[in-house]
Amino acid sequence: MQIKKSLTSFLRSKGFQIMLGSLAILAIIPILANNNFFLYVFTLIFVFAIYASSWNLLANSGQGSLGHAAFLGIGGFSSALIGGSISSAVIASLGVTKMPIGVLSVLIQIVVLLLGGLLSAGIGFLIGLACVRLKAWYLAMVTFGFSVIAGTLSSQLDPVTNGINGFAPTTLVPSGYPFYILVISFAVSSITAMSLIMKSRMGLAFRAIHGNEAEAKMIGINTAKYKLIAFVISTFFAGIAGGLYAYFIRFIQNDVFSPANSFLPLIMTVIGGLGTTTGPIIGSIFLVSLQQTLALPSVVETLRSSLGTFFPGVSNVGPPIAFLVVGIILVLIVIFSPKGLAPLFRKFLNYLTSEDKTKRAKKQ
Amino acid sequence: MDITAPTIILTLIWGVAIGCVYILLATGLNIIFGVMKLVNFAHGQLLMIGAYLTWTITYSAGLNAYAAILISMLVVALIGVAVERLTFRRVLGGDKLNEIFVSLGLIYIFENAAMLIWGANSKQIISPLGGMSLALPSISITYDRIVAVFVVVATLIAFGLLIQKTKLGLAMRATSQRNSTAMLMGINVETIYMLTFAIGAALAAVAGGLYGIIFSFDYQVGALPTIIAFAIIILGGLGSIKGAIIGGLLYGIVEQLATLFFGGVWGSAVAFAMLIVVLIIRPNGIFGEKGE
Repeated sequence: MQIKKSLTSFLRSKGFQIMLGSLAILAIIPILANNNFFLYVFTLIFVFAIYASSWNLLANSGQGSLGHAAFLGIGGFSSALIGGSISSAVIASLGVTKMPIGVLSVLIQIVVLLLGGLLSAGIGFLIGLACVRLKAWYLAMVTFGFSVIAGTLSSQLDPVTNGINGFAPTTLVPSGYPFYILVISFAVSSITAMSLIMKSRMGLAFRAIHGNEAEAKMIGINTAKYKLIAFVISTFFAGIAGGLYAYFIRFIQNDVFSPANSFLPLIMTVIGGLGTTTGPIIGSIFLVSLQQTLALPSVVETLRSSLGTFFPGVSNVGPPIAFLVVGIILVLIVIFSPKGLAPLFRKFLNYLTSEDKTKRAKKQ
Repeated sequence: MDITAPTIILTLIWGVAIGCVYILLATGLNIIFGVMKLVNFAHGQLLMIGAYLTWTITYSAGLNAYAAILISMLVVALIGVAVERLTFRRVLGGDKLNEIFVSLGLIYIFENAAMLIWGANSKQIISPLGGMSLALPSISITYDRIVAVFVVVATLIAFGLLIQKTKLGLAMRATSQRNSTAMLMGINVETIYMLTFAIGAALAAVAGGLYGIIFSFDYQVGALPTIIAFAIIILGGLGSIKGAIIGGLLYGIVEQLATLFFGGVWGSAVAFAMLIVVLIIRPNGIFGEKGE
């Protein structure tokens, strides 16, 4: 009942209309731009928007994970491995040499991604059991430690995972525009679902726990239960993001468990705006476009010829300078604007709309 | 390597030497937590800066590596003061997540700045005792590791005296017990926070110098020792200095034995597994105080 109510109010809300509108525009932009680089960056932005949103949901319940890469990796590896075995079974039964691309392969892709998410959520449930009693910094350590253990296990189980050298998942949805559509449909549904959860009674309980766990317990919230639920939901979507990531870049390796991947959703969310729906998306747009622009060969070359002489020990000066700045931005945002860039963005939108109103008033 | 009695003894001695470096880092982290109730996840990056500064002073001024550690200690203490005043002071006492976010920002700042300044290749500090080792029957231990143990013991004794015998130490202990009462007793709590952070940073710098003499290091060296130091103080109990020493030695030995018996990749995974198991059983650490 509550969910239905919040669903209707969400569907009527301005935020949802803005989201739908911007997604419709985003679906068209790559066609208009007709540029493979843009398509690549846009797809990656949405994959990481799901990942950062999943982290955001967990942090909204007061649990700041420093090891979310574990779930990105578990989702990625399991969906890539399951997808591989399903498609080889299909290939064998059809008696063809290559996986035929069609409705069946798209369905397999979706099922495999969901399975990756479920497996990630299952492991998330077990880790969550250990985490619900822990305070902020202990939880940060345990989750970080788990991502290290997950990486080690993946390399120890190399005969199964193939994680040391890495492998390419079987193509189920062709890359380029079809995959982009797959990613944005997953992104819309995942982010909408998470946004609904955060606006529901459950989300209220999450925020109460984040605000003050002892008080939340006192007013009758089963804090352990809600923290565990947040953990499971968050790891489910992180797993889906991992699957999309592996199928999108057509490669998965143990590198996916790296601390950098664990810190990425945190930075995106905090820069964009912790606890908001738009925050992780804004953060993802910011960081992914920054990273991808710096990886462009022409940009690398320009930076090397202009700044390389100042930093002789570094072969590619772009990323360290950029991430030095990202670190400074992160600290500045936490100190001066704890809600991130999202409120500033909203103020800007309000400013634009209010200007329209004054113009309209003048016309009348 | 064959597992024989001498190799096990050697492993234990190595474990003690490495444990000593971790103890210094853990003690710094611990004193900062005890007084400020702040977990500085960027503490290992201070170790990294300490190692690089020691390297630079040894390399460019031709100073003895152990004397260079003293200078880098002072510089890193000043960096610590700046970090505390500019960042942590502004988020202290609020949402705990903010402290984690600031630490993470600091990690990015320190690591990338170090990479730009000192380059991406790994370095090692050359000490006057480099390459020499004490040869016992079927075991040989480098002098640097022995000196490291002595430096750590001396530093810890000096630190213990500072905490137990001086007025500053008394003020730090008072602040750690209850900062509002300490304030009423005329202690300038903000100054104590600043000095505590500086002392913690200086300990990390010593750890960094010793680490850089024993091992080669690069700009990413800080991440794992932070985690290990954190595991140690969780094992020993947050805020307990004796606990940190016992935990540090235990950790160093367990890590080295795990590496010997299961192979290098398992060293840190086993340590984390131990940490997670301890936290599941006792959410406040083995010797930790009961929370609310």
